[in-house]
Amino acid sequence: MPIVAAVLALLPWVAPSQALSVNILLYGLFATGFNLLFGYTGLLSFGHAAFFGAGAYGAGIALAHYGVGWFGAIFIGVGVAGMLALLIGAVSIRSRGIYFSMVTLALAQLVYYAAFQATDWTGGENGLRGLTVSVLSLGPISLNFLDPTTKYYVLFAFVMFALWLLSRMLNAPFGAAMEAVRENESRARACGFDVRLIKLIAFVVSGLVCGLAGSLNALHLSIVPIDTLYYQTSGLAVMMALLGGAGTFLGPFIGAAIFLLIEDIFSLWTPHWQLFVGIIFMLAVLFMPRGVWGTLAGWYRERRA
Amino acid sequence: MILSVDCLVKEYGGFVALADVTAEFPRGQMTAIIGPNGAGKSTFFSLLSGAIAPSAGRIIFEGANITGLPQFRFARQGIARSYQITNLFPRLTAHENVRLACQALSASARGDLWHDRSYHYGLAETADACLEQVGLLPRRLIEVSRLAHGEQRALEIAVALAGSPRLLLLDEPTAGMSPEETKQMMDLIARLATERTVLLVEHKMKLVMGLADRILVLHHGRLLASGTPDEIRADTQVRRVYLGEGRSGRG
Amino acid sequence: MELDLILAQLFTGVALGAVFVLMSVGLSVIFGMLGIVNFAHGAFYMIGAYVGIFVLTLTGSFWIALALTPILVGVFGLFVERILVRPLYGRGPDYPLLLTFGLAYALVELVRVVFGSDGVPFDTPELLAGGFDLGDLGYYPAYRLFVIAFTVLILLVLWVVIERTRFGLIVRAGARDPRILSVLGIDVARVWLLAFGIGTGLAALAGLLAAPMRSVNPEMGVAVLVEAFVVTVIGGMGSLLGGAIAGMAVGIVVSLTSLWMPQMATMSMFALMTLVLIIRPQGLFGRDDLAR
Ligand SMILES: Nc1ncnc2c1ncn2[C@@H]1O[C@H](COP(=O)(O)OP(=O)(O)OP(=O)(O)O)[C@@H](O)[C@H]1O
Ligand SMILES: [Mg+2]
Repeated sequence: MPIVAAVLALLPWVAPSQALSVNILLYGLFATGFNLLFGYTGLLSFGHAAFFGAGAYGAGIALAHYGVGWFGAIFIGVGVAGMLALLIGAVSIRSRGIYFSMVTLALAQLVYYAAFQATDWTGGENGLRGLTVSVLSLGPISLNFLDPTTKYYVLFAFVMFALWLLSRMLNAPFGAAMEAVRENESRARACGFDVRLIKLIAFVVSGLVCGLAGSLNALHLSIVPIDTLYYQTSGLAVMMALLGGAGTFLGPFIGAAIFLLIEDIFSLWTPHWQLFVGIIFMLAVLFMPRGVWGTLAGWYRERRA
Repeated sequence: MILSVDCLVKEYGGFVALADVTAEFPRGQMTAIIGPNGAGKSTFFSLLSGAIAPSAGRIIFEGANITGLPQFRFARQGIARSYQITNLFPRLTAHENVRLACQALSASARGDLWHDRSYHYGLAETADACLEQVGLLPRRLIEVSRLAHGEQRALEIAVALAGSPRLLLLDEPTAGMSPEETKQMMDLIARLATERTVLLVEHKMKLVMGLADRILVLHHGRLLASGTPDEIRADTQVRRVYLGEGRSGRG
Repeated sequence: MELDLILAQLFTGVALGAVFVLMSVGLSVIFGMLGIVNFAHGAFYMIGAYVGIFVLTLTGSFWIALALTPILVGVFGLFVERILVRPLYGRGPDYPLLLTFGLAYALVELVRVVFGSDGVPFDTPELLAGGFDLGDLGYYPAYRLFVIAFTVLILLVLWVVIERTRFGLIVRAGARDPRILSVLGIDVARVWLLAFGIGTGLAALAGLLAAPMRSVNPEMGVAVLVEAFVVTVIGGMGSLLGGAIAGMAVGIVVSLTSLWMPQMATMSMFALMTLVLIIRPQGLFGRDDLAR
């Protein structure tokens, strides 16, 4: 946790562009939410776009259609994502293993189609617009959200708060129970863990975190594109978490940085940068399944032992 | 009676793994369950530990009908089992394996989302006490996958002891052990049995004869005979199906 | 609502279902043998349509394309299994899944490089371009009837192979318990290789058959992957019969909903899946030890 805080606090000064550092921050949080389920609980979800999108649309609709303040909008976004996670989680954890991946993907596509149809609320294909926030005011304080540095540190504060809560949970006995489910589900059940409940709680918390990432992203972009809910967005979280190191705390942020850097660099000389991302991802699955950070941490631990 | 089962049946798509078993288990006694390969012994234990639900029949534990409850309820009720094929958290340490089992059975610790893992004093100490009982305390910080086979078998027992279960189900605890390890394990089981009710599945007939108060014989999923070791030894049916095979079959 | 309209729509549903069935059966063959979910299944479907177009423009014959496409893509599938998937056996089901996901990601982009990002038209083959006047039932496109008939034929061939041949015996035994194959002295690696090839070939065939009915573009695989998953979850993973029945059911439900509530058409199948999951999490014909 302190490492993550330090790295993210310094990010705007080392990243090549301001846009990149905000993206690393927000997509890193999104991948962290996904990682909570995949890396710590052992559930490979392919539907996390639904929660990222629910957060974004929840906050966006609150801002654009109901004139809710920015702070309240974030809460609404997170709440909507949490409710959706409860619903999707309750259905999908009934299935196990690879079934789970298929079911989460299918249910997330359902959310995508639903948003696509509900044009009055979501703007459908064109995305949701009209949610520009330029000044953040909370009580006596008011901040200029258009200033990139201020914007980054406001978002940073939210991300840090979420990460702090998460690290408490992961270090608490509940975090140990999640690991037990990941390591050996049938043994966890025999020990007396209520595996379903643990999975459901992990699922909902994961949805809340992704929802926060989505809400913040909506504020950041001032628009919610329909693609936020698409399959590719779910894949983004999967790739980022795995590239950086699933089951590690810093990994998802490293993975987000790697992914976004690849995108930035390769798209300079080819519009088909996704081809390279796909290939690099396959190589990572084959040769570095613990991800960059997981592998480094493994080396360090072995040298100390 | 700490446990009684009533007309217990388990079918797998038409194949009857356990057929109509009715039996009672007095508190404090050690009952051995024997039978040839595929007799349904492990299936019986899976039913008693709630891992699978019976196709028919009832399981009464300490006077309460617990049939059909989820598996974790069985564990919280005080029934623990060890597995024939070692089933642990392979990437965690011996200590962490037992500590997790203690946590699962501690109502205050298991749902804690907030305090550090070391906060709930008692879990770690109980875990170490369990490791001590099976002689694994010096190896507490070794990862399970690096433990020797015999040590893993002992850890199975330590994990089962975590919540001080009142009913302990041991499925072939000596599977794959050397004669020396087997002797140690049987001594351990004898010690454990002085404080709680033990059900023991064991292939090596000789071992249970000297140890168990009572023996049940399963064959093709049916309860073939039950009685004291002497009665079982004298039973002609048992001699035919079990002892005959036992002499020529696997050890 | 007119009865003949409903019946015509029912037939449309069956044609749609035929594509689902081929997809789901391909998934199940791979899953049943290798125990992995092929996330690139939609990409192979898409490749099937493009390879079909390629062969069609080269030879001018739909029939040659129909025969060659599954073979070409199937052979490509063999290489994928041999080079990319095989190193991952023994590492649990998640890694092959992730790998095939990455593969799909790369393949979609590769097709964009080669064929461009825009859709490509795929005309109904001349011979099948007409329709049948079904009297009271209205007018029904011949191509759809062809798709239904051809799928039935493929399923029959598959059924004979699985029930009547030595390879089928191996497949059935292996699907029940993979360990039994090595006990019997069968080269498991070769069976897996073949199963993957057949599965991808079936996906390609589905893509080619669907091409004249649905649009051909690099993203066409995503929607169908999800549809195939829904069908497979409903039918039960690893069950060919389940896949066939569920495929038909989903096809019919989708086209009937589009008759009454067009906006709900794409969503109806998810409702069906959710219902099945709540009542029977392992799917209608699934084994209960695979998903509980
Ligand atoms: N999930 C299952 N599906 C189908 N059949 C099963 C299943 N589990 C067990 N069986 C069958 O039930 C029978 C009883 O199995 P069980 O494991 O209970 O035997 P056992 O007495 O413990 O044998 P062993 O001495 O080899 O441990 C066996 O024939 C086995 O093949
Ligand atoms: Mg057994």
